[in-house]
Amino acid sequence: MASADIQNANPTILSVSQLPTRLEGRISANKGAHCEYDNVVFRDRDWLKDLMKEHAGDDSAGEPLDEQEVYDLISVISDPEHPHTLGELNVVRLPDIHVTPPPRNNPKGLGNVQVELTPTINHCSLATVIGLAVRVRLEQTLPPNYRIDVRMKDGSHAQDDQVNKQLGDKERVAAALENDSLKGVLDNMMKPCFA
Amino acid sequence: MASSSPEGDSSSATKITPLATFEPDLYQRAWQSIPHPSLPLLATPHGTSVTIFSLATLSKHSALVNGHTRSVRSVAWQPGLGAGQLRVVSGSFDSTAAVWNFRGDRRQGDTELEREVKVEADGEGEGEGEEEEDEWELTVVLEGHENEVKSVAFSPSGQFLATCSRDKSVWVWEDVSGEQGGDEDDGGEWDTVAVLSEHDGDVKAVAWCPDVPGRERRKGVFGVDVLASASYDNTVRIWREDGDGEWVCVAVLEGHEATAWGVQWETRPREDGKFPRLLTYSADGSVRVWELKVDEEEEVEARQPWSGIPNTMRRSLREDWVCTAVLPKVHGRDVYSVAWSAESGILASTGSDGVIALYAEDGDQHSAQDEDVEMVSPPAAEPAKPESDQQPTTTATDTNGTTQKGGWRVLTTIENAHGPYEINHITWCKRFDAGTDRKGIEEMLVTTGDDGLVKAWAVTLD
Repeated sequence: MASADIQNANPTILSVSQLPTRLEGRISANKGAHCEYDNVVFRDRDWLKDLMKEHAGDDSAGEPLDEQEVYDLISVISDPEHPHTLGELNVVRLPDIHVTPPPRNNPKGLGNVQVELTPTINHCSLATVIGLAVRVRLEQTLPPNYRIDVRMKDGSHAQDDQVNKQLGDKERVAAALENDSLKGVLDNMMKPCFA
Repeated sequence: MASSSPEGDSSSATKITPLATFEPDLYQRAWQSIPHPSLPLLATPHGTSVTIFSLATLSKHSALVNGHTRSVRSVAWQPGLGAGQLRVVSGSFDSTAAVWNFRGDRRQGDTELEREVKVEADGEGEGEGEEEEDEWELTVVLEGHENEVKSVAFSPSGQFLATCSRDKSVWVWEDVSGEQGGDEDDGGEWDTVAVLSEHDGDVKAVAWCPDVPGRERRKGVFGVDVLASASYDNTVRIWREDGDGEWVCVAVLEGHEATAWGVQWETRPREDGKFPRLLTYSADGSVRVWELKVDEEEEVEARQPWSGIPNTMRRSLREDWVCTAVLPKVHGRDVYSVAWSAESGILASTGSDGVIALYAEDGDQHSAQDEDVEMVSPPAAEPAKPESDQQPTTTATDTNGTTQKGGWRVLTTIENAHGPYEINHITWCKRFDAGTDRKGIEEMLVTTGDDGLVKAWAVTLD
């Protein structure tokens, strides 16, 4: 946290009360006739679902994954250079998360989670690290039939294409995770996820 | 479990059926499974080690351990060694390639080795002693790459080894220890004969042209060995030795719109004795077929001795490789692997979507239905790639559509071949298990996945 080489010294911080939660109801990206009752029915079971997802492989309790769940998994990751979470820094935004569940007629088919990140400043060399953390967190927690795409939101980052290509490359991601110093940074970022 | 759903040609009776899962489960991502060129052995890198499976028992034979500090990404069997000698090279994320020798009973010939393979796996079941892990000895470490080594491959004679890395380079090594690899105890003597640094990104895979008759076609111009490399820069390059010991890039294959994950040469000799074709496959989800365009006049000219002609005058140091087909689109995500059968000529592809697909080429006559032709046409008027055109050898883009021979059709596909997991590799492989009465002849498919499973599949053609 040395201030000397911090890239963005004064990021905008959202307070916890401003962050999207299940209690606010789902956002428009996630509509459906029965959504309004989900708050009532499911809000108290999030911890349970998380717990089950950590352990269960294929399908957890039958309820399809939604954007808020993905948000909850990754918004608590802490920023590599600020003492705040990616949610508080607005790097992770609920409307930029898109979940495509497996086809209805083929529950064993593939689902997809797309996350677009908005780094705090345009030239953030840590964008790749943040993207990697998000990808790893989701790979470790989502069912294995979900393919995960993490990219920088259009125009939010100067080297979008390079960063996106790296984050989409399984072999590069695997190799990065065997790099001890990088692994150390990622472990620190993940700490709040296990608090 | 494996539901086979024919696509395209509904009259086709081609089926893929699960045969067996190799024992034991590796419990971690496995990257590929490489069959020995003649013996019933299969090498599978996973974690920092390599498991050798017996194709006779479909279970573990031995293991290469304690040679790498990071994941082993690829392996290659050295061909052309003396009877009973086994040597494997492994390429690792720790930036090295390692040469391993098998220390079995050295008086054993091939057949005894085969027998031993069966007995051992039958007898021991699960209890793999430490002894077993001593059977492979790390003899040489090849250092030079700056980053992860992604792929290793031997030329057909075993003379050359190619390695490639995230450092954007391809290295060609030569075993100069003489006939039969010298002393059985050593790991060979490896000289670096070339460092090829023309790619603009990680080099993902290297592959040598197999020793089929068509390969000789241009040997008056070049040395006989031909290397292809696939890269994160979306291109594939062809490399040859120019006759003076210099390795040069003779063609750049442009057309993929994302990382080229790999290349696969045509292993079945072509009836007309033509040069083997090349398959490339990519993160863009496509598989492309490329062919060397030989200008007969130039070929004759090139066969004349070129003494006195300066290097720059040798037009023949360029080859014209043309994309002649794009396979019908099956995969929704990265295609990680394609295998080309040396027996049937059938292609098998797999990738991130967990689907296995088989394709056959239409007969030589250009009588395919319109549908098929449309399916395989390369995208019309591909825009030239903006940055990378300093290379004088761009092909495909400017010659598109000139050669539209054989089309390809999908024979069958199966989904969820490794359950919900990604499949990293597919290969054709001879069967040696008790279930076949054509040992060493009948072919099967072997897939390797993120689930740590190596699976064998029977393919029934109609």
